[in-house]
Amino acid sequence: MKQKNAINLLINAFLIAFCIVILFPVVYAVLVSLHRPGYGLLSIIPDIWTLENYQRLFIYGKFPRYILNSIINAAGGAIISTALAALAGYAFARLEFKGKRIMNAYVLGMMMLPGLVSIIPIYRIASDLKLINTYTIMILVFGAYGIPLGIWIMKGFFESIPRVLEEAAAIDGATPVQALFQVVMPITLPGLIATFLINFVYSWNNFFTPLVLISKTDMKMATVGLFDFQHVLEGNQDELLAAACVVIMIPAIAIFLITREYFMRGMVEGAVKG
Amino acid sequence: MKKKLSLYPYLLTLPALVFITIVSLYPTLYSFYLSMTRSKKGIIEFVGLRNYSIILRSADFRQSLWLTIIFTVFYVLLTVIIAYILALMLNRGLKLTGVYMTIIFLPWVLSEITSGVVWRWMFYQDYGIIQNLLAPIFKGKALITTNWGAMAIVIAATTWRSISFGMLLLLAGLQTVPREIYEAASIDGSNGWNSFWKVTWPLVRPTTIVTTVFLTIQAINGVGMVLAITEGGPGRATEILGLHMYREAMQFYNFGYAAALSVVLLLINIVLAAFYLRALERENALAG
Repeated sequence: MKQKNAINLLINAFLIAFCIVILFPVVYAVLVSLHRPGYGLLSIIPDIWTLENYQRLFIYGKFPRYILNSIINAAGGAIISTALAALAGYAFARLEFKGKRIMNAYVLGMMMLPGLVSIIPIYRIASDLKLINTYTIMILVFGAYGIPLGIWIMKGFFESIPRVLEEAAAIDGATPVQALFQVVMPITLPGLIATFLINFVYSWNNFFTPLVLISKTDMKMATVGLFDFQHVLEGNQDELLAAACVVIMIPAIAIFLITREYFMRGMVEGAVKG
Repeated sequence: MKKKLSLYPYLLTLPALVFITIVSLYPTLYSFYLSMTRSKKGIIEFVGLRNYSIILRSADFRQSLWLTIIFTVFYVLLTVIIAYILALMLNRGLKLTGVYMTIIFLPWVLSEITSGVVWRWMFYQDYGIIQNLLAPIFKGKALITTNWGAMAIVIAATTWRSISFGMLLLLAGLQTVPREIYEAASIDGSNGWNSFWKVTWPLVRPTTIVTTVFLTIQAINGVGMVLAITEGGPGRATEILGLHMYREAMQFYNFGYAAALSVVLLLINIVLAAFYLRALERENALAG
């Protein structure tokens, strides 16, 4: 027993050290952003602590506009994927129907289809349809990206709800549609919120897709705006650049901490269950 | 009752399926057509398999393919090894397991571009924290400006970002190994290392293969981290396939050629996915 405790102590020490290494880049971004202008990379700990960079950020370039664009695109996409994934997830979890297995396999296949291989044709199609530089194209693409994972998460949720509820509703004379929308969906609200938030974060963070589909300054998302800032600010206004990083990190970290369990479960189940 | 319901499941599933078909599958198939065209001054011209023959002869493509292989091999190896160590440690049911997992997971929920900005700083000439630690070994030259250094940084950053993926998958596999098996092994007097190889390894090998193939698929399709950290540079030293495709399309407007590259990437993905599904099947057969 003593030996086991000693081993656990060592392992804990190792894991704590490892976590510090993992966290360092995040903490470093915060620290750089709190330096006074021009001193960001000179020391790890600021000699004078200041929030000035955050104030400057909100009048710098079009940063507030980029944030607004990110919210619109990510929320729009997440609404589409959550709504459609909830309906499909319910059918996959509860109903038996012809073609279910094939549809299931199709969703899995689409989940494995990387965004990278479709982005060039999407760009061409969008430019033929005059959809480049619009919210519409971003919302449609984010909506589609989120559906497969959304279906897996929602399916898990529906499977955890006892069937008795729908059976009771049916006895009370509710149609299956009424049972779904009035009995099952309200109980699944945490699942719907989790699916929405997880998809929101993935789109909020997405950097490559908007880089390809959006070139007009007014329509850029915060991630692409940050990429532009990197080119202009790195090496001379690192503190301002760091503040922009932190502002983009905060919602993602906050949402992750709220939905942690579902985030991880979605990741493992999406990859392993099939 | 049952008959009246027959359309119901399809009303629920089809909106989602039709949506992903139009927005994801159709463009992917459209890339086959696009890959057989060339656009010159806005006029689209059908050129058959020309773009593919260009790819076969292209030195740029061969270099990108080679860089993708290097990137993938080192990234996957590094990730699997570290993820294994973490998973074995976390499988002991330590009190702080939840906290450790949350922290290790954190980089995954950050945008590639925010991470890219920070990683660039850490290797910045004269000021970068890690750069300065390494400076004596590499004679002061910024690592990120050298071909191999840039590749190493990109691999390290990508590993840092997605280590949690490997760790979670492996941990899920380790947790299917019943505790009694370890206990039986330790009564037999086998030490940790021996009991791992003799008892645990055969049981977790399928999970390991699944994880490895999964990470490989991720790596082949990687582009965001590299774009954010080196943009393929210095020169073309980190221009992996995804980035090569992006540059051909968005910087040189060679859409036909870029579409042919996406078809090549798709084929690589299909082969890997087939491996992946076979590995999954074996794993499930073992678990079931």
